[in-house]
Amino acid sequence: MNEIISENEVSRRSVLKGAAAGAAAIAAGGIGASTLGAPAASAADPLNVSFGSNNSNPPGPEEDAAWVAAAKAEGINVALNVVDHNTFQNQINSYLQGTPDNVFDWFAGYRMQFFAQKGLLTPIDDLWKKIGSNYTAGFAAASTGLDGKKYFVPTDWYPWAIHYRKSVWKKAGVNPASIKTMADLVNACKTFKSKGLIPIAQADKGGWEAMGVFDIINMRTNGYAFHAGLTGGRSSFLDPRVQKTFANWKTLLPYINKDPLTQSDQTAGTLVLQKKAAMIIIGSFTSGLYTNKADYNDLALIPFPIINPAFGTDSIDAPIDGVLASNSAANNLPASEALMAFIGSTKFSGIIQAISPGLFSNKNSTVPSDPFIQSQVKLVQATKHVAQFFDRDSRPDFAYPIFSDSIQKFLTGGDPKAIAKNLDAQWKALPPV
Amino acid sequence: MSTVLEESQVQSVPAKRKRKRGSHNFSGSDRTTLGVFVGLPTLLHICFVWLPAICTILLSFTFWDGIGGLKNIHWVGFTNYRQIFTLDDQFPIAIRNNIYWLAVFAFIATPLGIILAYYIDKNLKGTKLYQTAFYMPLVISAAVTGIIWENVFFTDGIINSILHNTNPQTAIDWLGQPSKNIWVLLLIASWRHIGYIMLIYLAGMKAVDPSLREASAIDGAGEWYTFRKVVMPSLRPVNVIIVVITIIESLRAFDLAFIINGGSNGLQTLGILVYQNIEGSSMRIGWGAAYATLLFIICLGPIMVYLYQNFSKGND
Repeated sequence: MNEIISENEVSRRSVLKGAAAGAAAIAAGGIGASTLGAPAASAADPLNVSFGSNNSNPPGPEEDAAWVAAAKAEGINVALNVVDHNTFQNQINSYLQGTPDNVFDWFAGYRMQFFAQKGLLTPIDDLWKKIGSNYTAGFAAASTGLDGKKYFVPTDWYPWAIHYRKSVWKKAGVNPASIKTMADLVNACKTFKSKGLIPIAQADKGGWEAMGVFDIINMRTNGYAFHAGLTGGRSSFLDPRVQKTFANWKTLLPYINKDPLTQSDQTAGTLVLQKKAAMIIIGSFTSGLYTNKADYNDLALIPFPIINPAFGTDSIDAPIDGVLASNSAANNLPASEALMAFIGSTKFSGIIQAISPGLFSNKNSTVPSDPFIQSQVKLVQATKHVAQFFDRDSRPDFAYPIFSDSIQKFLTGGDPKAIAKNLDAQWKALPPV
Repeated sequence: MSTVLEESQVQSVPAKRKRKRGSHNFSGSDRTTLGVFVGLPTLLHICFVWLPAICTILLSFTFWDGIGGLKNIHWVGFTNYRQIFTLDDQFPIAIRNNIYWLAVFAFIATPLGIILAYYIDKNLKGTKLYQTAFYMPLVISAAVTGIIWENVFFTDGIINSILHNTNPQTAIDWLGQPSKNIWVLLLIASWRHIGYIMLIYLAGMKAVDPSLREASAIDGAGEWYTFRKVVMPSLRPVNVIIVVITIIESLRAFDLAFIINGGSNGLQTLGILVYQNIEGSSMRIGWGAAYATLLFIICLGPIMVYLYQNFSKGND
């Protein structure tokens, strides 16, 4: 999952339906009502706070420089500590136990709750009393630890869906609006294959890319509740419903490229960009590859079709990024909370929007008017349940290397029954949290 | 590399003589100096090598997620080892890969390196050029090596272009198929290993008295016979180093596999499994430590046997 953000050009995004509901109300540039009860600091007594950023890949440094300057103008002096994204991810445990920055970049989901449970974070309930009205209930829930306290200030999000180029589908004579069920999707794949295209570009070199495909097919087949139970260990992989998910996934395997474990999200996304593949099931960050304006305008998405009518298209993966306060913030609480309030503000989102368009969690944020971003908003608004992503919802020691390895085995022809059996045994062998 | 060899050759002899002389001949200041020169490195060695090694072995009998101090480390006996041997299906792949690695290095790459060294030592035309070309892979950093070879073996890379099929639907998937990618990896590793062995052996051969070879030739010995009976035996210290390097390089294999795909999907090695469980996001310290301990035991075996055999022969 780390790669998702690191390689994503449109890096600032956020999740949950209704995020953009009130967006249109705010003037362009997002310089509307910015202060959400951030402690007003006068220039006379600047607040000093340290911030650990994982936003190391372009345009991250540009974004960081812009908002740090704006925070300074508001009387918050930020000592910025940028770490390479993957390194940050891998060293998070020792980082949080050493001398962490007061505030740092992280994700919502179990991966946040895990650190809260371990006592490595500072709760920010008081701050949430002030800023809570800026977020929908979905975001508020995603910001809450298992103990019911608030820890997270969400900034931005992006959905996972079927991404394609309009011109390619038009030329092949496939109408995106006609893809309602799995059978429709398979038929479309047959058409694309007959035209010499790779119907579905599939990546899984990093072990995480195909987790998103597992997530969506599992949620479509068995519903959100079962999926959440599975990632959380409350449901077993031995449940026959898991086999149904794998069976449904198998119907798509004849239509993917033969080398999914060689392709990364970048190279597989490029197959779609170069019109060699018809679609890719991935996060909207794939738009980062579309640097040419004409290509970007050709990019579109549709929700993954219905598999089980009982669940329709009511669930989606839409990971939320945001910031957390480490243990060190407890000694510097006013400044840390002021910074977190600033990062949650529309002023912040406006600054980032000006550099790379995306979707922000604060419901007063501007939503770019371009059709691709609008379709992301529509997709999430039409959804009832939002999951984060397998590796953000599940135990870190289960997601890698256990689950990632199993999915890679499945894609190289592994037997789903044996895979499920091993996953169940491995989950049971995990040390208690 | 050559300096290392010379030192080892030179030191082995006086070290033995010194031992016979006994310690009672040393003056007080000699003892202080010796104490500092021997004691300090020993202390550092114990602190930075043996203590962490022992801690790793102890941790392999525990559950620990790397967070918090001693109170969060739970003693679980042999649970980690039992789980690794019964549950983990990546462990057999890692062991298999390390064995493949050792076999390919021992039977193909290392002999090739020695043969190259032998021919380059004959001062053929363009020797310097060959020497540089064969050694070049070692000068290139592992990260760059990985990228170069990825471009060669990628689905639309050089090899598939030569085979006229770069279509991801039908082309050969060199890096993604677990049945193929390990051999690609071993090819890359050998490409690097051959140059390494060549250089070490070349340095050793330069030190062999040419008159030995001349004498052998005059006596009517063939080239192969001379190499086997004259050159090889006079290079025994170098041979020891080459065997040890070959074993250690194959058992601790990590970097190239990690660069190609993070060491997943058929490219697991023991080193990769240690890293994935200790340093990656999974933080299963006990498992990682158990892998590290297994790797340590496996490394210890062949090296101890070989060193013992060689040095005991040397004492005759």
